[in-house]
Amino acid sequence: MIDLMNQNRHRPRIDLTLIFGLLGGLIFFFGLALLLPLAVAVFYNEPSQSAFLLTSLIATGGGIGLFLLCRPTEELRVREAFLIVTLTWFTGALIGAFPFYLSGVLESFSDSFFESMSGLTTTGATILGGVTSDGIQNPAIEELDKSLLFWRSLLHWLGGMGIIVLTLALLPLLGIGGMQLYKAEYSGTTSDKITPRVQNTAKLLWSIYVGFTVLQTLLLWLHPSMDWFEAVNHAFSTMATGGFSTKNLSIAAYDSVYIDVVIIIFMFIAGINFAMHFKLFSGDFTTFFSDREIRFYTLLTMLFILFISGGLWLSSSYTLGEALRFGSFQVVSIVTTTGFGTDDYTLWMPFTSFLLFLLFFTGGCAGSTGGGIKMIRILIILKNVISEIKQTIHPQAVIPLRIGNKIVDQPILRTILGFFVMYLIVFLSGTVIMTFFGFDFLSAAGASIASLGNIGPAWGEFGPVDNYAVVPYTGKWILSFLMLTGRLELFTVIVLFSSYFWRH
Amino acid sequence: MKIVIVGAGDVGYELSKILSDEKHDVIIMDRDSRSLKKISDNLDVLVQEGNATSPVDLVQAKVKNADVMLAVTNIDEVNIVSSVMAKRLGAKTVIARVRNDELSRPDSPLSPSELGIDTLIHPELAAVHEIRLLLKRASATDVVSLAEDRMQLIGLRLKASSKLTGMTLEEVTKTIDEIPFRLVALTRRGNTVIPKGNNQLKSMDNLFILCKTEDVDSFIKLTGHKDEKFENIMISGGSEVGELLAKELSQDSQNWNIKLIEPDIEQANVMANELKNVLVLNGNPTDPNLLVTEGIADMDAFISVTKDEESNIISCLMAKHLEVKKTVAIVSKPEYLPLSETIGLDAAINVKASASDEIHRCIRTGNITTIKALRGIKAEVFEVVASNRCKVINKPLKKVKLPDGSILGGIIKESGETEIATGNSVIHKGDRVIVFALPYAIDKVIELFQ
Repeated sequence: MIDLMNQNRHRPRIDLTLIFGLLGGLIFFFGLALLLPLAVAVFYNEPSQSAFLLTSLIATGGGIGLFLLCRPTEELRVREAFLIVTLTWFTGALIGAFPFYLSGVLESFSDSFFESMSGLTTTGATILGGVTSDGIQNPAIEELDKSLLFWRSLLHWLGGMGIIVLTLALLPLLGIGGMQLYKAEYSGTTSDKITPRVQNTAKLLWSIYVGFTVLQTLLLWLHPSMDWFEAVNHAFSTMATGGFSTKNLSIAAYDSVYIDVVIIIFMFIAGINFAMHFKLFSGDFTTFFSDREIRFYTLLTMLFILFISGGLWLSSSYTLGEALRFGSFQVVSIVTTTGFGTDDYTLWMPFTSFLLFLLFFTGGCAGSTGGGIKMIRILIILKNVISEIKQTIHPQAVIPLRIGNKIVDQPILRTILGFFVMYLIVFLSGTVIMTFFGFDFLSAAGASIASLGNIGPAWGEFGPVDNYAVVPYTGKWILSFLMLTGRLELFTVIVLFSSYFWRH
Repeated sequence: MKIVIVGAGDVGYELSKILSDEKHDVIIMDRDSRSLKKISDNLDVLVQEGNATSPVDLVQAKVKNADVMLAVTNIDEVNIVSSVMAKRLGAKTVIARVRNDELSRPDSPLSPSELGIDTLIHPELAAVHEIRLLLKRASATDVVSLAEDRMQLIGLRLKASSKLTGMTLEEVTKTIDEIPFRLVALTRRGNTVIPKGNNQLKSMDNLFILCKTEDVDSFIKLTGHKDEKFENIMISGGSEVGELLAKELSQDSQNWNIKLIEPDIEQANVMANELKNVLVLNGNPTDPNLLVTEGIADMDAFISVTKDEESNIISCLMAKHLEVKKTVAIVSKPEYLPLSETIGLDAAINVKASASDEIHRCIRTGNITTIKALRGIKAEVFEVVASNRCKVINKPLKKVKLPDGSILGGIIKESGETEIATGNSVIHKGDRVIVFALPYAIDKVIELFQ
């Protein structure tokens, strides 16, 4: 604080040198990540090599240039952290779009950006294989270069645990203010660190993430219909709860119970708080298994599997086994906001479809790679409803809101209720805009919530076997915005649009 | 190092800030979730809600694997109990903060080591010692005793009338050639720099000068500052610091004329009974009438040590207005410290920083023997032992390249002889070296001597 008075006396409210300097560092890092698909392109000797090389050069060069030009030395403050995190994700998606555009695979830059943002935010909505509003036929997924397919999955994987967290883990650059950035990117109610230093926390989270990804790759590869390439891509996509597949038919293309089960298990794992995984690995079983959010998440998933599979069994030609297999896959895929598909749920009977529609709003646990509102928030809101009922009957009663042994304080409750209302407002605005483009209620609402919740496949015209190519370009930018807003949990992005943020 | 701090008050906050900046793994525990939230919002440390005297909570805060456990809550008993438990649980070093110094007196029936506490620290006592040094050095803004008080680092605010004003550092060295001294730092408008030969001194600059203790008086005289002896002092506030200060001064060899103002009549009675040579007044320290009636204009020094920092500053300003020669206030809010210079406060004492200083010294391992953070400016003076493998020994200092932002002040030879560093001084192995360093240079300096 002494510095505040001494050195930073003339520092502007929002220090642009600092912001662009750090942004430069992060972009540089992103440019390095582009070397991976470049290697894949070189390995398979694909024409997209030059696109990757060019993009990587632009990103690393531009990033370093920006960093050296600005040389950030000051300490980050909260509002600057919001701006940096949002800008980083936006720029990341922008850079991520170049390989699709430069390689000539996609004719429109808007489409490239949509695909890239959908990848980075782990949404998994694609425009591949469809005809755009101005009549351009986008190539189907299977027609793409392997390096581009790999890039889509890698975007998922980088965005899953978070670009900032990754950078924190690998580069000491963000030592200053890393905490603020970590919080602005973190998904969930409280950004609990698992070690005292944020850098170590980031390292641990990423090691767990990498560990699970490697394990899943191995398990997928054991199946004869998956080669190394497909196993890696699907593992990236699963652990990030993304949803991009290397097949147009998604996981249905393999039609294998083994692959379904492996993916169900790992989607479920990815939907759990990674800090809790850490507890589990460090031998603290009680904390993991007594965690209210994990219990609620498991219970809710089980219940929905029960009702949906039951409904499927009664209403269709599926055997009990098939109903359970397809029911549980779709439930876990949607609840974790992954968006893989093995069955077209839009054709199910209304009861099961509607149950699944409800799951579009939940999302995984806080601190997982999943999107959505998050289990803990839903749990607290439900508990709040119950205590409101109690309060009505006993007006004088003092009723604390308990989650396990912890009391939820009023300020936290207020934040959560605020988040919930904001979520609905953003969802409804998204729906209104989509209806404006001429889509029916269900398609519009579906596209809006599937983007905001980072799920991917939606309803009506955007079902699991369809794609988003047909949305007009403006609509694609708006959906991309919803994805980003959803991934960064609303407030990180939305504060930037409030006049309070820029006011001196 | 893994450090567990118990107590997230001001001292806890200050310590966790310093220690996390130094890349230690810090876990801080407190009962109050609000003060924890403030910490987790601002610092890169892990916070843990819990009771300092609950063994279960201590285990949860990972006290078992801690290298250092610091108990710095506001309550002595809590600090002692939790330290004892932490030691039993396996914490390697345990440091407790106490306000009452009874435990560490030689005649205490129970010693800290019997309880398993490695170090007891008394920030209030440290603050009292600091104030006493300032009273004895009338014109100094800071006095840091080094080398077992054989050398002192003094802060001087340059008056426009001083003959040094306007001179460059080189000229100063030529003017004052009979006394060895070293100008280690200069603070101007809140910025601290290590001056070079061609830097010009301006009035109101705060100079930090290292010289031998016996030379300090003559040095101050040469600079054109009067260094008179203080006699009449007024202490405002019978807080712990006030009481301790009055007690210490009344037992001093010098004959002080002490007046102490305490607003609470009961506390005033207690102190009047206890302190025989002190005139205890019952009244409000910010009441100008009382101050004038009690002859504040005749006072040499006015020391404000009430718990209310804002009123400390106000009453000091009032005293300054009535031309008291020296005003000292307890100011613990770090935000206020840089102000002290601007508003004309002669010296600001920060109890919380004294606490973190002391603890910091216990934690700094290796060859550092004394460390002292200077108030209001971000810099530290420390004594470091030159090991026999380091690059700085056995050659004249002008050939030694020190990291930017650091300067060698003096050398304490193994024989006990002290020397103010000049370009021709040579450090031998085992010598202690007094180094003044800005924060970013500290680690580099320590590395250099290892």
